[in-house]
Amino acid sequence: MTITGEIRSSKRRSGGPRLKITSLEVLCGILVLALLFQSRLVDLLDVPKLRTASTVFVAICVQAMPFLVLGVLISGAIAAFVPASALRRLLPSKTALAVPVAGVAGVALPGCECASVPVAKRLMQQGVAPAVALTFLLAAPAVNPIVLVSTAVAFNDTPMMVVARFAGSLLTAMVMGWLWVRFGKMEWIAERALARMADHTGRSKWAVFAESARHDLVDAGGFLVLGGLFAAAFKTFVPVAWMQTLGGQIVLGVIVMALLAVILALCSEADAFVAVAFSALPLLPRLVFLVVGPAVDVKLIALQAGAFGKSFAFRFAPATFVVAILCAVVSGVVLL
Amino acid sequence: MRRETQNILLVLLGGALLKISFSGLYLRYVQKSLLPLLIAAGVIMIGLALFAIVQDIRRGKAESEHDHDHSHSSRSTWLMLLPVLAVFLISPPALGGDVVNSAADTNQTQRSRNLLGELPSGDVIPLSMTEFVTRTAWDESGTLDGRRVKLTGFLLRAEGQTYAARLAISCCAADARPLKVRLGGDVPSLPDEQWVEITGQVVPKSANEQNSWVPSFTVESFTSVPEPVEPYES
Repeated sequence: MTITGEIRSSKRRSGGPRLKITSLEVLCGILVLALLFQSRLVDLLDVPKLRTASTVFVAICVQAMPFLVLGVLISGAIAAFVPASALRRLLPSKTALAVPVAGVAGVALPGCECASVPVAKRLMQQGVAPAVALTFLLAAPAVNPIVLVSTAVAFNDTPMMVVARFAGSLLTAMVMGWLWVRFGKMEWIAERALARMADHTGRSKWAVFAESARHDLVDAGGFLVLGGLFAAAFKTFVPVAWMQTLGGQIVLGVIVMALLAVILALCSEADAFVAVAFSALPLLPRLVFLVVGPAVDVKLIALQAGAFGKSFAFRFAPATFVVAILCAVVSGVVLL
Repeated sequence: MRRETQNILLVLLGGALLKISFSGLYLRYVQKSLLPLLIAAGVIMIGLALFAIVQDIRRGKAESEHDHDHSHSSRSTWLMLLPVLAVFLISPPALGGDVVNSAADTNQTQRSRNLLGELPSGDVIPLSMTEFVTRTAWDESGTLDGRRVKLTGFLLRAEGQTYAARLAISCCAADARPLKVRLGGDVPSLPDEQWVEITGQVVPKSANEQNSWVPSFTVESFTSVPEPVEPYES
């Protein structure tokens, strides 16, 4: 955890000069400055575009926080109450066989993508093969019942959309898992993501639970906010009015909708309602939007870079993007 | 970042969630049904932070040093301050005209069986903007024709026309869908973004594909109203 260095430095400090600025003083300073310049700040943001962006930013953060909290609670519970041996017994010992199991297990996590990142990271720390944890990471936000029901409500005219979304997302998750088995390298994943929790002998399981959850929350929270910033900026400043004119150009439509899914970073529970609004486009590009969105978007890339390191995220995200488009197209051509 | 600072940030962020939950301001950002989850998230955040603070005090710092043996700088955690400052200092307003004007997908409604039932009887029927627009776009039997309805929305002017507009969300403000109605008759001469209740009648068959399903509405009377507690339709 992050405290070691801090505590050492505080020890050192107690002997040395006392005037050292720590993050605590910085925080107080920021808060005082923000209070002093509050009215100036409000005036500065009083431009329609910036007002819209700040509302969207707060909305994305507020919407995602409960799901992130759910994710870190599950992650904490796995750390405290599920011994690594139990997970090993639950999953097939051959990784290639465990991948589909993890994909289907995603059905059980009723949340959006923010919840699945801390859980996947914890699974890795508990000794689950990265390929299996990553499959779970990709499957959970897309195939759980809440998302499927909201898709069915949004596309109540075309129920096959639900089936196609389920198939496309599950396929994406499993293909990525198998690709990792074949090509993935452990050194891409930051060491801190794989480091096992220190031995907690002498601490109650509840203390381990609370401390793991708190630590994950602090770690992921900042990256979630970063993703929210990007998404709010894209949503407000990238004009999408011309998209409706794409109409019948199916290849262009697929690519544009895939990119849009990445930059809008919508919650997987809401994206179906946005997709249904692009009524000028055929169903296939809209299916691509629904399959790509929960697997890779700016919010998720930020969260993944935080959890697994930059060198992982910059390989994993583009690969997932391509695989998700292909899987969505296959699923759409077969099912729609 | 120091552990104490992390805990204070968590308390602040949890406090911000509770503040918008209890003041009702959360309705500017997310849907009503998220309220229990928001409160739970706020309470859990504060709880986790307080638990850590109490444990640290009880154990004393020297001891806790042995428990944690890997460290990495977490500068990103500072970003958690941004939503806190946004909520407590700026309190961004509900989305309005800017979104409606720049939207690509105005009045995209869905044919839905249960929405197109019988209209209630009565002289003036209050309708949501969603239902009104859906009926003008999909209902060919013309159930709205000749009926007096009451709509609530904010005023908006574009290209010499005056509109009453409203946004509908399904999850949070990031997925807002704009709805608008072109006004004719006794058009309110109030400033843009002013909320109004308008009573009047639809111009039959005025919503079509060429005008992106924006129906015309003949205003008979209007009253200006404060912004509703729930600014968005769902």
